[in-house]
This record gives sequence, C-alpha cells and structure tokens, in this order.
Amino acid sequence: MNCTKCGKKEVMMERKHSGQRLCPECFISGIQKKVLKDIRKYGLIEKGDNVMVALSGGKDSVMLLDILSSLQNRGIIDLMAVTIDEGIQGYRQDGIKIAENHARRLGIEHRVVSFKEYFNISLDEIMALPFPRGACTYCGVFRRWLINRTAREMGATKIATGHNLDDETQSIMMNYLEGNIENLRRIGPRSHPKSDKFIVKIKPLGEIPEREVGLYVVAKGLEVHFAGCPYSQESFRAEIGEIIKNLSKNHPTIMYSTLRGFHKIKTALKKEDSRNFTMDNCIKCGEPSAQELCRACVFCEELEKKKTH
Amino acid sequence: MKFTLINNKKTEQLSFKNNLTIKELLDQIEKPLETVVIKKNGQIVLEDEIIQEGDTIEVIQIIYGG
Ligand code: SF4
Ligand SMILES: [Zn+2]
Ligand SMILES: [Zn+2]
Repeated sequence: MNCTKCGKKEVMMERKHSGQRLCPECFISGIQKKVLKDIRKYGLIEKGDNVMVALSGGKDSVMLLDILSSLQNRGIIDLMAVTIDEGIQGYRQDGIKIAENHARRLGIEHRVVSFKEYFNISLDEIMALPFPRGACTYCGVFRRWLINRTAREMGATKIATGHNLDDETQSIMMNYLEGNIENLRRIGPRSHPKSDKFIVKIKPLGEIPEREVGLYVVAKGLEVHFAGCPYSQESFRAEIGEIIKNLSKNHPTIMYSTLRGFHKIKTALKKEDSRNFTMDNCIKCGEPSAQELCRACVFCEELEKKKTH
Repeated sequence: MKFTLINNKKTEQLSFKNNLTIKELLDQIEKPLETVVIKKNGQIVLEDEIIQEGDTIEVIQIIYGG
C-alpha cells in the first residue's frame, strides 16, 4: 500500500481514522500547510510581527521554529528566539546547545537567559532547599516571567510556544476535572492579556498530535534534544496524559473532538467572564500582576526565607 | 534471522524468529509504539514492517513521561 497522496512506496506514517498513508515528503508538506492554515484561521500572526519562539531545543519548539522560518524567509515576520536555562545539571545544557545551533543556522537573534541571573537561584539549588514545592511549580512561574520579560526587551510582538494537541487536550481535561474554570477559559491558540506589558502568546502547533511532531522532526532530520527532565514527576497532568493516550488507541480522533468541543464551550465561557479586575504592576519587579506582588516575587521571597533557615 | 538494534544510542546484535514485525519487536523490548519513531535502514517505517536478515533498526524515543 503506497502513499495515498502521491503513490510513492516509502510510507512513513498512517492516520488510522482517515486511512491516510503518507510518504515523508507528503507528510512534511501536509503538516506545514496545516500549521500555516491554523495560523491564518486563528489570526495568530500578522504581517510585520516580531515573533519570539520559546526554544528549548525539544521537538515541539524545534518544529515550530522550522515552520515559522518559512514566514521569515518570505519577509512576513521577523523571527527571534529565547532559551530558558533553569539550571538543571546534566539535562538543560544539551538543549541549549541544540537551540543555539538552530538559531545560528537560521541567522536569527537568540538569547539564553537563566533563573540564576534573574532570580539568583538555579532550579537545582531550589530543589536542594528544605521542603520545596514541586519543581514544575517554580519552573512554570519563573519561566513565564522570564519569557515575557525577555520578549519585551527584544521587542517581540508575539511569543510562540510549541504546545501540541496532546498538551492542549490535557489542559482541557485537567482543568475541567479539577473544576478550574478560570484556567479553562484561558486555554486556546492565542492569549488575550489584560495588560499590554504581557506579550500575546500563540500556539501554532495546538492541533498537531505530539507523535506527529516527533515524526516531523525525525523525518526532516532536524537536530532535537530528546530527553526527559529529571524533575518530571508523577503529576496529575501526566496521569491525564496517560489516560488520553490510552483512549486514543481505540478512539484515534478523541483529542480532536475534545478540542473541537472545547472551542464551542469557550464562546459561552467568554460571555460568563464578568470579572473586571485591573492589572497593576508588581511593586517589586514591575511586571503586571493582580496582586501587590507577582507570583515570581512571592516565590523569591519564600525562597529567601528557606535559604536563611 | 539476525539484525542490528539501535535503542537509546546503544547498539546490539539480536537474533529472532523469521518474519518478526516492528510491532512484535517493540512488545519484546517494552516500548509503547506511541512514544517512538522507528527507522529501518535509515527510513521511517510503519509498525507492520517485517524485519529482515541484516537490517538495522533504530528506535528513537520521541515522547517522555511527565
Ligand atoms: S519537567 Fe518540570 S522542572 Fe522539568 S523543565 Fe519541565 S516544568 Fe521544569
Ligand atoms: Zn507521497
Ligand atoms: Zn514581581
């Protein structure tokens, strides 16, 4: 059975739900078209945007950079990248190297910024303190702060992240099951920040299954950091991910339908959003925050106390 | 039937029954298909591909837990 698009013999993937069987060329060009179509459909990028990719060197961000570079080549956007160095011994260094290689190859502006230089403590040092919170909690809060700050400094008008369909479906199910409607409302292909100091975030790969992201980077021979973070633990997200992946075996369209259904609910959720709180600036770091102190600064103070104990 | 397996950057020679498929191999080495991409002699292949004498099979893990 040959490629259902062009008839070539070298079939590399099969979409069981549609009966599609694709050769590498047809798979790669199909994915690129789908991502560019979603960018238009959801209005993620406008001509003249300065798009900063959050580039970890992992498969998702490398694929995202690869596809967005075609927009840069056509003169539609200006592309740049940032890599966050959380300070994870024996893990992050390889990803940074790979991110640097891609940025150099494409000739784009690239910054590596670390927890250590901005928060005066690395993730490894945090996790060595007594009774820390989960690593991913610090990591998420500090990373978001750093990416947004760097995006503003670099003059970015959009922050592009590599979240894929699996990530999005997990977020929907997680927040739904936890009854966290506030967070549910925020899920989607682009953010609508309440402060203009928050740069708009976009997720162009939100409708691409994780496995197809992996297939894409391997098929294109892109250099990618394939490794697991030593702190990734049994989280609720991981449990949900496991369930959805298992369900997908016999119900291959379940992630698409979850996302489609969510898009319909979201319209209603939006109308419900009556809260009209104002964003102020964090009194310590100046980043926008609904509270006096932003979460990053709350964590920094908490860590200072732990250090002196 | 002998072939070369590259798994997690480790290379080994394996000997198996004839007509072993990629899917059966993955079951043997306990790798869920959803988390890997398989190359046979440098080309990405499907799970029902049959491994032949002298083939080089590379297992690339693309999805990590957590
Ligand atoms: S797994 Fe957690 S600690 Fe590791 S990089 Fe991801 S968010 Fe950070
Ligand atoms: Zn084809
Ligand atoms: Zn702050």
